[in-house]
Amino acid sequence: MTATQQPNRRWRPSDAPETIALVGAPNVGKSVLFGSIADEYADVSNYPGTTVETTAATVGSARIIDTPGVHGISSFSEAERITRDIVLGADAVVNVVDATQLDRDLFLTLQLLDMGVPTVVALNMMDEAEADGIEVDVDALETALGVPVVPTVAVTDTGVPALRRQLPEATAPATTPIAEHYDALPDDIKASRAEKTLLLEGDDPTVRRVEADELVADGGASPLANAACREQVYRERRTRVRALTETVERVGDTERALTDRVGDTLMRPLTGIPIAAGLLGLIFYVIGVLVAQRLVGFTEGVLFAQYYNPAIEAAVTRLLPGVVWTEPIEFLLINDNLGLLTISVQYVVGVLLPLVVAFYLVIGTLEDAGVLPRLAVLTDRGLSRIGLNGRAIVPLIVGVGCVTMAVITTRMVGSRRERLISTALLGLAIPCSAQIGVIMGLLAGLGLVWWAGYLLVLLAVLGVVGVFLDRTLPGEQDALIEQLPRVRVPRPQNIVRKTYTRTVAFLKEAAPLFAGTALVVSALDYVGVLDVIVRGLRPVTALLGLPAAFGQILVLGLIRRDFAAAGMTDIALSAPQTFVGLVVITLFVPCILTMTMTLNERDARSALLIWVGSWAAAFGVGGLVAALLGVVA
Amino acid sequence: MMSLAEVSPEERIELADVPDDDARTRLLRLGFLDGRVECHQQIHNGPVVLRRRGSEVALGRALAREIRVTRSTDTPK
Repeated sequence: MTATQQPNRRWRPSDAPETIALVGAPNVGKSVLFGSIADEYADVSNYPGTTVETTAATVGSARIIDTPGVHGISSFSEAERITRDIVLGADAVVNVVDATQLDRDLFLTLQLLDMGVPTVVALNMMDEAEADGIEVDVDALETALGVPVVPTVAVTDTGVPALRRQLPEATAPATTPIAEHYDALPDDIKASRAEKTLLLEGDDPTVRRVEADELVADGGASPLANAACREQVYRERRTRVRALTETVERVGDTERALTDRVGDTLMRPLTGIPIAAGLLGLIFYVIGVLVAQRLVGFTEGVLFAQYYNPAIEAAVTRLLPGVVWTEPIEFLLINDNLGLLTISVQYVVGVLLPLVVAFYLVIGTLEDAGVLPRLAVLTDRGLSRIGLNGRAIVPLIVGVGCVTMAVITTRMVGSRRERLISTALLGLAIPCSAQIGVIMGLLAGLGLVWWAGYLLVLLAVLGVVGVFLDRTLPGEQDALIEQLPRVRVPRPQNIVRKTYTRTVAFLKEAAPLFAGTALVVSALDYVGVLDVIVRGLRPVTALLGLPAAFGQILVLGLIRRDFAAAGMTDIALSAPQTFVGLVVITLFVPCILTMTMTLNERDARSALLIWVGSWAAAFGVGGLVAALLGVVA
Repeated sequence: MMSLAEVSPEERIELADVPDDDARTRLLRLGFLDGRVECHQQIHNGPVVLRRRGSEVALGRALAREIRVTRSTDTPK
């Protein structure tokens, strides 16, 4: 096999085994195929410098890497950049092609071959193709491409042994029609065939890398940028794809599948909105009630409060000699607010873990069924008014379950600008389910009018903040371009595998971050800074017309939102005071877990802005409501 | 020439001009600039869903307004 020499093999140390990348469009069954082709799961990790998880495993003596689904090798999105980097660093690829979507997927195949990447094609979903009345002449396709083509049905393991046997046969034609264009590039350029192809397609990272090597001396327009002719290259490749599809594929007449029609009803507002509302209710019930309240209530209230925490506290007290210098250590390890070995573990294992698993199961199911992109289509109209496109619906839905989780899903939302807007909205105006339970209880005591008022205030804040950010943030709103995968009955095996992968990746990242945060907050608590904050808050609580005790609630709210809500039940307040208090704690800063994830997903500046912004929003809106209600004397 | 936002559902069209560079490249790659496509759904004030060979793509309203289309006279492929 001729391994193309790549300078940026950051994915592979020099003594590592051969690397095979699994590449294909989204929803073509890549991860299922990955699971059945690999010997065992090696490791799950986030791709360096990003938040997209990648999975690697061994197959024979080689290492196989799953990549994010893409329609081509380029740099349009974070997922595409990662796939591009992994492909450039790989020795060979398994290109997974959806047999029902040959005309769409062969573009990527021909691009890989133009790049000279040794390839084996896995022609997947052969069962669905048959059901659709699509016949593919596999031999003709193999001859035309000049690389091995193996028909597979990943979900039943059909064709997987054959695919494994063909791995060493991965190859690429010695030359492809794109070579005609190589003349346009400077003669003395130091670039591989893969890079030359990407240069012609005007791929920015490749252009920059090669230019840095060439040390272009004259300040004029770079010869590389001039040589780029992406559209022509793409058009010519599409022509080859069309010709190829016409010779190898025969499409019979079949009825449109029932699932296709289900997909349509999801996107039409008249039918889609009730269905979406139903789904939302179900998600809220599963994540917000069953898991966040019942299951977490059990893990926190019983497993941790009654068994784990007392046992650890006893052990620590026994192990540490009761002398003066061990006192701070003991405090850091087992204090009641955020002890490293007690409450911190309780949060991560007892609270987050069940939520994370439940959440990934729900999202995985919606993803596998092809529902998410259709929800995005349905809500695009409304969300475009607050600077977002339809894709932002996912974080907002999830946010009602758990804001921390939702911050993670903002990575699905197009551009940086939109991720920032959706994270800000989540941090500000979306109450999490842990809090909603308590808030609903308090509002129920006040009556329906207050409940409606509460919703109204939140929606108003959501709208105003969205419009404000849309107007002030630089850049343009990202248009929705969404390829809609087929609607299908979700495959449990696939969902469980994805949930496992994502949960592991999440814990690996969140646990150390949370431990660090816990130590810092405990230290501040020990030296008395937290008390100083409560005292500092007195003028603010006065402004809201609330008693000084509310300051303590706010401090609790700095750590966890539902603590603040729960604290509200303990102080005697009038109806308007309760209302003001609830508005304030809803808009107040996101919980520590959310902030940690925000720091992780965005950057320190955005996180700080969101944090400070929520102080302003909470007290601004709270003060206004208090004045309107006449709470302030 | 009319815009994609004005096409009625079920109508067969060709996307003649997509001014946005990114959108054009992505549609080209998916095969939606190869000729005839079906306007599958027009969501009122919302996205337009195009269909081609069983593959569907949704385009936001603002983008659809910029896209110029011609009614297709092609024979079906």
